[in-house]
Amino acid sequence: MFFIECLSDLREFVPEPEVVAGLTFDGDPAGELELKISASAARSVSADFLATDEADLSEQEIHDVVCELANMICGSALSRVESAATFRLSTPRIMDSARDIATLSEAAASASDPFFEVGDSAIHAVELGSGRLVVSIHTEKLKWPLFPR
Amino acid sequence: MAYRVLIVDDSPAMRSFVRRVILLSGFELSECFDAGDGREALSLLQHEWVDAILTDINMPGMDGEEFLRLLAADDVLRSIPVIVISTDATQTRIRRLMALGARGYITKPFVPETLRAELEATLGVTVD
Repeated sequence: MFFIECLSDLREFVPEPEVVAGLTFDGDPAGELELKISASAARSVSADFLATDEADLSEQEIHDVVCELANMICGSALSRVESAATFRLSTPRIMDSARDIATLSEAAASASDPFFEVGDSAIHAVELGSGRLVVSIHTEKLKWPLFPR
Repeated sequence: MAYRVLIVDDSPAMRSFVRRVILLSGFELSECFDAGDGREALSLLQHEWVDAILTDINMPGMDGEEFLRLLAADDVLRSIPVIVISTDATQTRIRRLMALGARGYITKPFVPETLRAELEATLGVTVD
């Protein structure tokens, strides 16, 4: 659906501007998901998704696509959880990239496995063609694995 | 034949994507309306007729489940076929939405062929 290619797991970490989207979910378990993507990858993904040139994209359009990406990843991950409760996802929103998720890329850079845990969060980090994407899911009650291996 | 379609989703990016996929699938659209939630969609349906509705579930304001309930309760609007497009792939949710009257259910992310197949089945047509 997003017409991009996931090139590999993690390469050398090079800091660059990022877009962060987050949402919460109610259900069993309840929790939150944060998605952090490099600005260049966000622009590339958005151009593919909206079938337009990167140069023509507005910041709002990029934010809309990143929010939708977070929504899809969260819904897809939660659909793997065996739960009697139906999950309800909040509307994704763009977050201040200075939040604590700022540490996730550094953690991803030092991890040998693209799937790992920091504290009580499960994290998946991948390289897209044009940058890095890091997803963190935190729940009050762990029901892993949320990410496919 | 050209169709009149309503896309209900709070994400402008998703509405744009669905519209593009419908056109890429070969469906000719005479009108493509959109709405940000169920309430806005119902308001639009008071004065516009559509051949099919594609709706998300999780939306602020009126969500997809309530939207489907109100469509089913309306003697006129209940005949409009509805396809749900959602990230929720759980059987519990799918069964509930189909019981509420949805004719089709697509889980995101999806490939264009999936949407095309659902639209063809729902509208009873085959598009070249």
